[in-house]
Amino acid sequence: MASIFSAFLNWLRSLFWKQEMELTLVGLQNSGKTTLVNVIANGQFSEDMIPTVGFNMRKVTKGAVVMKLWDLGGQARFRSMWERYCRGVNAIVFVLDAADHDKIPAAKAELHQLLEKPQLVNIPVLVLGNKNDLPNALTVEQVIDQLELRTINSREVACYSISAKNATNIDITLNWLIKHASR
Amino acid sequence: MNLGKKDEDSDAGLFFHIDKSTVLQEARAFNETPINPRKCRLILTKIVYLLYQSEVFHTQEATETFFSITKLFQSQDTPLRQMVYLLIKELSTVAEDVIMVTSSLMRDMNAKSDVIYRANAIRALAKITDSSMLQAIERFIKQAIVDKNPSVSSAALVSSLHLFGANKDVVRRWANEVQESINSKGPITQYHALGLMYQIRQHDRMAVIKLVQNYSRGSLRSPLAYCMLIRYACKIMEDEEPGSRSLYDLLEGWLRHKHDMVVYEAARAICDLRDVTSKELFPAVSALQLMLVNHKPTLRFAAIRTLSKLAMTHPAAVFPCNLDMENLITDPNRSIATFAITTLLKTGNEASVDRLMKQITGFMNEISDEFKIIVIDAIRSLCLKFPAKQSLMLNFLSNVLRDEGGYEYKRAIVDAILDIIYHIPESKEFALSHLCEFIEDCEFNKLAVRILHLLGREGPKTSKPSKYIRYIYNRVILENATVRAAAVSALARFAVHLPELRDRVKVLLTRCLDDNEDEVRDRAVMYLRIIDDEDLCKRYIADETTYSWPSLERKLVEYVNDEAAHSSAFDISTTPVITAAQERAERARVATAAAELAVPTLRSTQGGPTPSAPSSTPAARGAVPSAAGDAQAGYAAAMEKIPELAGLGSLFKSSKPVELTESETEYVVSCVKHVFSEHLVFQFDCRNTLNDSLLENVNVVMKLETSEDDDATALVQDKAIPIQRLIYDIPGTAYVVYSRPGGVCPTATFSNALRFIVKDCDPSTGEPDSEEGYEDEYLLEDLDLVTADYMLPSYIVDFKRTWEELGEATEVTETYALTNVASIKAAVQNLLQLLGMHPCDGSDMVKDKATTHTLLLSGVYVGGTKVVCRCRMVLGDDGVTLEVTARSPDQDVGRRVVDAVC
Repeated sequence: MASIFSAFLNWLRSLFWKQEMELTLVGLQNSGKTTLVNVIANGQFSEDMIPTVGFNMRKVTKGAVVMKLWDLGGQARFRSMWERYCRGVNAIVFVLDAADHDKIPAAKAELHQLLEKPQLVNIPVLVLGNKNDLPNALTVEQVIDQLELRTINSREVACYSISAKNATNIDITLNWLIKHASR
Repeated sequence: MNLGKKDEDSDAGLFFHIDKSTVLQEARAFNETPINPRKCRLILTKIVYLLYQSEVFHTQEATETFFSITKLFQSQDTPLRQMVYLLIKELSTVAEDVIMVTSSLMRDMNAKSDVIYRANAIRALAKITDSSMLQAIERFIKQAIVDKNPSVSSAALVSSLHLFGANKDVVRRWANEVQESINSKGPITQYHALGLMYQIRQHDRMAVIKLVQNYSRGSLRSPLAYCMLIRYACKIMEDEEPGSRSLYDLLEGWLRHKHDMVVYEAARAICDLRDVTSKELFPAVSALQLMLVNHKPTLRFAAIRTLSKLAMTHPAAVFPCNLDMENLITDPNRSIATFAITTLLKTGNEASVDRLMKQITGFMNEISDEFKIIVIDAIRSLCLKFPAKQSLMLNFLSNVLRDEGGYEYKRAIVDAILDIIYHIPESKEFALSHLCEFIEDCEFNKLAVRILHLLGREGPKTSKPSKYIRYIYNRVILENATVRAAAVSALARFAVHLPELRDRVKVLLTRCLDDNEDEVRDRAVMYLRIIDDEDLCKRYIADETTYSWPSLERKLVEYVNDEAAHSSAFDISTTPVITAAQERAERARVATAAAELAVPTLRSTQGGPTPSAPSSTPAARGAVPSAAGDAQAGYAAAMEKIPELAGLGSLFKSSKPVELTESETEYVVSCVKHVFSEHLVFQFDCRNTLNDSLLENVNVVMKLETSEDDDATALVQDKAIPIQRLIYDIPGTAYVVYSRPGGVCPTATFSNALRFIVKDCDPSTGEPDSEEGYEDEYLLEDLDLVTADYMLPSYIVDFKRTWEELGEATEVTETYALTNVASIKAAVQNLLQLLGMHPCDGSDMVKDKATTHTLLLSGVYVGGTKVVCRCRMVLGDDGVTLEVTARSPDQDVGRRVVDAVC
């Protein structure tokens, strides 16, 4: 009897404690945003070669957390619209192609420009150095240095080096995100 | 019923007083978490409602709204998603960056599970895509076209059709997929695929023919698709040589299709064929006849409407349906009944008229004014066709004149009666008495004034003029100022024309001097003053001439627009004066031209109504001279704008265009001959059909070739106005002016040639390849200047009287044997064409197997000389023997007319 009761209580608790969170994925084109969303949602890597035109919206349930993922296109014409989708989210995820050294300055500029927007103050930022399976990929320290993440003081900033292809560090990424579900 | 009404009200209540800014405030709900689909749908509906009420959304508002709507993609609620698509489509033209939803829409249209909104997503996607993005989504649209779900493939096909306009090359690449979907199972898909295929292939004639022939064999399931095929087939035949009908057999085959829609479309297509023959019409009319007894009102309506249109040009072909159409008169649907009646009036013979008129009388009260006007028009033409029935018709018209009705309706009736009086003189007294009764109780001033004017003109010529005076004077006592003034004028005419009544009318006019309206008093004073003076009367009352209204109007507009001219008074003496008969002829021309416009005929598009076309009604007969006359105003206005031609004075007559080339040659030229008081102007309309050449400085070289007429030597070429540049497919006009000193009017033949400088040019841009051109010449066919060019057809009310008045002294007679003419009918047509005169008293209608006939003609020769002409014909074994007698105040003119025949 007691066991049934506690099971019921657990179910009830899961019902109430189910948390929703909203995330926006931004970053230059070809940095691996859509691929990362697919890995998080389906757990498998697929070489999706179509650039995102505009945005994709995905809902992913991880444990007791429902994540709404706004996966935005990274081409220059869409960057001005990132801000619209970042307003009021639980966290902004900035994905970086850590192996494409030429584009790092551009990525830095876009990131800092986005974070300067008054509407987006205090929203935590997670920077992901993707594609760490490639030989020339930057390490976490290098990413932090090159993107000058230490200069951002007003908000919480985290940085991980991941590989969507090999599913490296996806778990710690998810843990960080779930931790920010309730704010 | 009541319940439904209540619902409607409450629906409107929901959207009553909604306001853009409030709704946009509410739209914040789209950003909330979690989303409430019901609430969001309602807000979206409100926005759509506002958009449909033509509320203007500024770009910024629209963009804001659009982006908040995109947040709704997180909800999986299907109705909400469909609503979102609708909004995206509506906002796609206003908001910026709508391309943002491309990826989301693509994901929806490729959704694995069979969600209902895949088709909606495709349609929305087509709206937001621009040419640069099309490449990226091409693959998915191609996939969707061959999707096995018919709604998805249809949506993809229709979207492609919309995209085709701006992206022809991309969409052309999808032809294989489109082909595949024509063969798919879904009827609607087939229909849409066929439509798209035609768009892709439309400029490839052979491919379209193949398309039509391939699918005519019955592989299609959609009746709509067959209707499309029929239209394509017609389009193909339209571009063919006249007379060839490569696809007629297919059309005829479709008359036996199992779907009514296809049968009707095919029948209508056959009826609309250019120069259709009665043999070709027969199966189509039979098919329509079957539809007349169908239980579906739509089919009956479609069939009777098509037959009604056909009856205007081919009454004989519709004749077999008469019995079925008579049954339709009692049809509960009044639109069908009206068409049935009017069609019957067109096809009916003299014997059936009585019965028809009886049926119409009962029927008139049940239809609206618009339909009544149609019926009145039909009766008018019928009456002119069967003059013997005029008393019956007039009775009917005067009865309906007394019924309730609006101005347009009453005007149509009065017009009809005036027309009948005009064309059938014996009806005059009877009709006038009806009109007199009508004005006793007429609420429309305009009509009362017109009728009073007519009474003034025609009343004195009747057998008992005095009876009209009472009616007219009643107006002076009872009516308002406008009508009173008209009545005074009418009275004065009686006094002038009838000396025995003059004193009594004078008493009446004297009473009018006490009127409290200036205009009425003024008129009365003037008429009293001039009534006894014969000369003054002639000048002011009996004068039958008037100013030419169109040119008077043109001159007045010029005067008003020209500030500098205001210092001096308007000079009316430059306005051409025409006779009342001419003015009436002009008016009849305009009316018939309007009628022609309103009813697209089946005649060939090239030369307007051809004289050989069988004319069914006198109204249509009037159109023979009228088509040219209506164009004349246009020519005059065009020439007025050219400084070299502006000073030539008033245009007497413009001929019909004469083709000087075959229609398929490099340069197509036609000529219109204009006769001015001292000049001849030849207007050459040229068209360059070569897209790789540009002509400059195009001159027409005219040379007087032969003439049996001594006067021809007097013609001197005055000037020639070349075309500066003749670009591919853009018509240009060159003029050659001859002066004819002393108003000589010779007949002659001219040889003509185009002389110009050719430059090769790029077909796509029309830019010349080089500045260098070379001179070239192009020979045209010879042009004849004939007597008909100097002759204006004119109506005369009473041929016999005019004939008698002119007397035998002025007569010129000649007899001819026309050996190469097979029938009287052909001879009449030839004469009408040769002389360019107007047939009087319906004498151009020849019975089918007549062996003798008399054709009466009247016209005005250049210089304003009246000519009447009697042509008596006898059909013999070796052709027609013709005796032409012309009477004219100027015997020389009569001689010319008679000579023109040989």
